[in-house]
Parts: sequence; C-alpha cells; structure tokens
Amino acid sequence: MNSKKLFTRSLSSIAGLCLALITCPGFADEHSGVQILKQLQVHGFLSQGYIKTTGNNFSGHSNNSGSLDFREIGLTASLRPLPGLQLAGQLLHRRAGKGSEGGIHIDFGFLDYNFINTPTIELGIRLGRMKNPFGFYNDTRDVPFTRPSVLLPQSIYFDRTRNLALASDGAQLYGESRTNWGNITVQLEAAFPQVDDKDTEVSVFGHTTPVSGDLKSRPSYIGRILYELPDGRLRLAISSAQLNVGYNPGQNDIFESGSFRFSPLILSAQYNAEHWSITSEYALRYSRRHGFGNPRLDQSVTGESLYLQGIYRFLPGWEAVLRYDILFANRKDRSGKKFAATSGHPAHGQYARDFTAGLRWNITPSIMLSTEYHRVNGTAWLSPLDNPDISSTEKNWNLFAAQISYRF
Amino acid sequence: MLLFTDNALSSDEAVEVITHPSTDVSYLSKNLLRSVFSMRLRTWQDGVPIRVFVLPDDAPLHSIFAKKKLNVFPYQLRSAWDRLVYSGTGQAPLVVHSEEEMREKIATTPGSIGYLNENKIDGSVQVVHINE
Repeated sequence: MNSKKLFTRSLSSIAGLCLALITCPGFADEHSGVQILKQLQVHGFLSQGYIKTTGNNFSGHSNNSGSLDFREIGLTASLRPLPGLQLAGQLLHRRAGKGSEGGIHIDFGFLDYNFINTPTIELGIRLGRMKNPFGFYNDTRDVPFTRPSVLLPQSIYFDRTRNLALASDGAQLYGESRTNWGNITVQLEAAFPQVDDKDTEVSVFGHTTPVSGDLKSRPSYIGRILYELPDGRLRLAISSAQLNVGYNPGQNDIFESGSFRFSPLILSAQYNAEHWSITSEYALRYSRRHGFGNPRLDQSVTGESLYLQGIYRFLPGWEAVLRYDILFANRKDRSGKKFAATSGHPAHGQYARDFTAGLRWNITPSIMLSTEYHRVNGTAWLSPLDNPDISSTEKNWNLFAAQISYRF
Repeated sequence: MLLFTDNALSSDEAVEVITHPSTDVSYLSKNLLRSVFSMRLRTWQDGVPIRVFVLPDDAPLHSIFAKKKLNVFPYQLRSAWDRLVYSGTGQAPLVVHSEEEMREKIATTPGSIGYLNENKIDGSVQVVHINE
C-alpha cells in the first residue's frame, strides 16, 4: 500500500509539473498558448439502456418487469502540448445493477510520452491509470459505439466482476512497428489493479457476504501484442496478465490473510470485409486463491471462454450481429456436476451458452440505436449481487436489451 | 488510355489528397497515408504537427477517399479513432462539414492534410500524389 501511495504521489507530481510547464507564462508565450489549446480535444457519450429478462436478473431488477438501470455517461479529454506528449483522462458514470451503482469514477487518466515516432517505428511510455489492454474490447468497453452489441460477449468481458480487470495504476511501455507486411503493436505494463469495490470481493470470495478485512492491490503485470495487416482486414492479438490481490483480515475475521491471483490468456482474431466482419476470441482464465485459513477457498481453477461473432452491414448505417458465446467456470468440470455434488449449488451456475441476435442502426454518426435478444443456457456470468439466491436461478433464460446512445 | 480511364470515372470519384501549401511533401506512400489518417503518425518529417481533417463518416466523398486512397472502409477508420480517443492513447481527426470548409481549413492550417474532390481544388492548397 505504501509503495502504491508513493507511486501515485510521484505520478501526480509528474502530471503537476507538466501542467505547470504548459501553463507557465514564461515557458509559453501567448501565441503558443493558443496553439496548445488548439490541441485540446473533448469528447463524450451518453446512453440509456433497457433490459428485460425472464427467470434471472441482469443489470438490476430486469426479471419480468424490465429495468432502466443501465446507463453509461462518459467525458473524455486529451491535451497534446507537444507532438510527443499527451495527457488524457476520462470520467465515467455507470449504473448497471448492484455491481455499478453510479457515482463518477476516473476511468483512466495518464501521461503519455512518445520517445520516437517515425513512419516505421513508435516507442513510448504511459504513466497513470490506464485501461487494461485485454482482447479487442476491454480498452473501450463502456463506450456503446465501440461495442458490437449492447452487451459485450460476457464469457470474456464479464460485467459480473468487471472492476479487477478494468483498469490499473502504473507504468506502460508501448511500441509499434509499421511495415508493408503489417503493424505490430506491443504494450507491457506493471501496475496495481483496482480492488476496492464489492464486485472484486465477489471474485475473490465467490459469494456476496461482506468480509471484515481489506483487499490490497499488489504489483501486477499486463501485456498485449497486436498484429494487423496494413489495410486492417486481418487483426490478431494475444493478451495476458497476472493480476495480484492480497487480503488483510479484520478483527475477529473468519478468514486469515490470503492472496488471489487472476491470470487470463486471451487469443483474438478478426477479419474485416466491406459488408461483414468475423470476430472470435478464446480465453483461458486461471485463478488461484492461497491462504485465507479456509480449504474451500485455498485452491486453483482454470475457466474457459470462447465466442464467435459475425457482423453484417446490410444497408448504410445498419448492422446485424449474430454471436455464440460459451463460458465454463472450470474447464475440468464443464457440466458443473462435480461442483453441484460438493457444494449443493446448481450445476448450471458453472457454465453459460449464450446465443445472441442483434440489430444496430446508426441514425447519424453521433446517434445510435441498438437492440438484441439473448437465449442463454446456464448462469455462470450472472452477477450474484443482482441474484443473491443462487439456488433460485433459472437454467434457461432470455434477455432482451435495447440502448440509445449519443456521442460528441 | 489513362486519360480516357480518368474521364470515364464520375467526377465524384476523382478525390485528391491535399495539404497546407507550406508542407514539404509532393508524394506519400499508401502506408504512410494510412498511418497519418489512422492518427498514428503525429508529425511531418520536419517536426511540424500533422493536423488531419475529414468529412463526416456518412459523407460520400469520405467513403470514396477511404476506399480509393487508403484501401480501408470508413467503419475501420471510425473504429481505429474511437479506440484511440476512448482509451486516451490518441486523438481524433478534426471533422469539417463541407468541402468548402475543408479547403479553407487546409489552406489556413499549417501541417494540415485532408482531401477534396478534384474539381473543388484551387491554388490555395497543395495536391499530394499517393504511391502504391
């Protein structure tokens, strides 16, 4: 914790120094002050969703009555005082059931320094809070316009326990090689994940009962390598991470101190044609709990995720999406039977097979309407916060979602 | 024959890449142009910041430019820009709403690059040729 505080403090000093340099009248005469302001960009988005489900809750009390408890509002600013230096930040307000109850969070905020940027090579460093470079969608997962559907494939981009893998505070080295054969982009990061929220407790302890101790963010490592053809038709990526969380017990705690490690490996592939795109991502998700003085927790498990998604642009501004998405909580117990036998909980909580069909209409470049239907077998990505009684969840259920979004 | 082919194209499709007259380039490779319009390259060779101007996503000329000059589809450009802007790792191009505004911005902004229908180009901007 001390090392993290120290890190955050030095980080804000760097940012402060840069701001001072930019605003200092001795450094920048009036003319270059105007030039700097010209490099300020502000963007934002605002969206309201509607979700109706049968059998289980997703994003609030969506069962039968439907829920308007799905709202995303973001404000993004970037400033490039020098060609090689950029400051960027985003504020996010997100309401989506008990896991995201609103409020305003710093989604990211960092300083980016480009040492080298030539036509063939780029090299730089980022310091601050950055979105974790996972797969194709995590970096912009809360921006409706960047998603292929209202909900991202939940097997990989689960909203159930999203915060641990969302963003981290630290340092990232990045580089890009640009040739006639394609572009390779590499990001390597050492950082502290965000752990101070309810849904990370759920990921660590596997249930919703509040714990009396504290989760501690520990040094973690994240990386992604992305290759794309010069024309972007083919895109391939490998992402991996080792996210570390510690637990300090409280007074009279039923748990002893312990640690949690989450190590996903994601393989991503996409092909883009004029009227259609095909995307597939596969993930192995290893997690290990150690300590806690509790044999139920002290174990490791590897989950598995896969989706295949097709997008068809059948008219200007219109897109149809079809997707099949599978999640297994434990690849050695895909049916969940072993889990059911030892825990007494339903087997269907250990897997989810989601068939999705959706339609998107870009009414203008800045207004979008999207809607989709999910037929789901299994409940592995349902949030326990929205469905506290696991034994009363339905194995086969339906989800309908619609969302209107605006951006500038 | 070449002349004939050019004339056979509708005038809508004769799109040219243009820059501010002071920019020291007369030709660019297709890959370099893609790096510029995907907002990856930040400065010209002489260090002047690159200012990219585009028409809105649904403008017919934007689509023709993307396909003919960059060999990409407009939705790919939009995805690339959104990834940069909403992850904080880059900036978006500046959007102009007419070809007249495009010509005026390119003519008056040092370091600027954009595109225009051939018949809208005058001496206030510089035409840049694109090599395969």
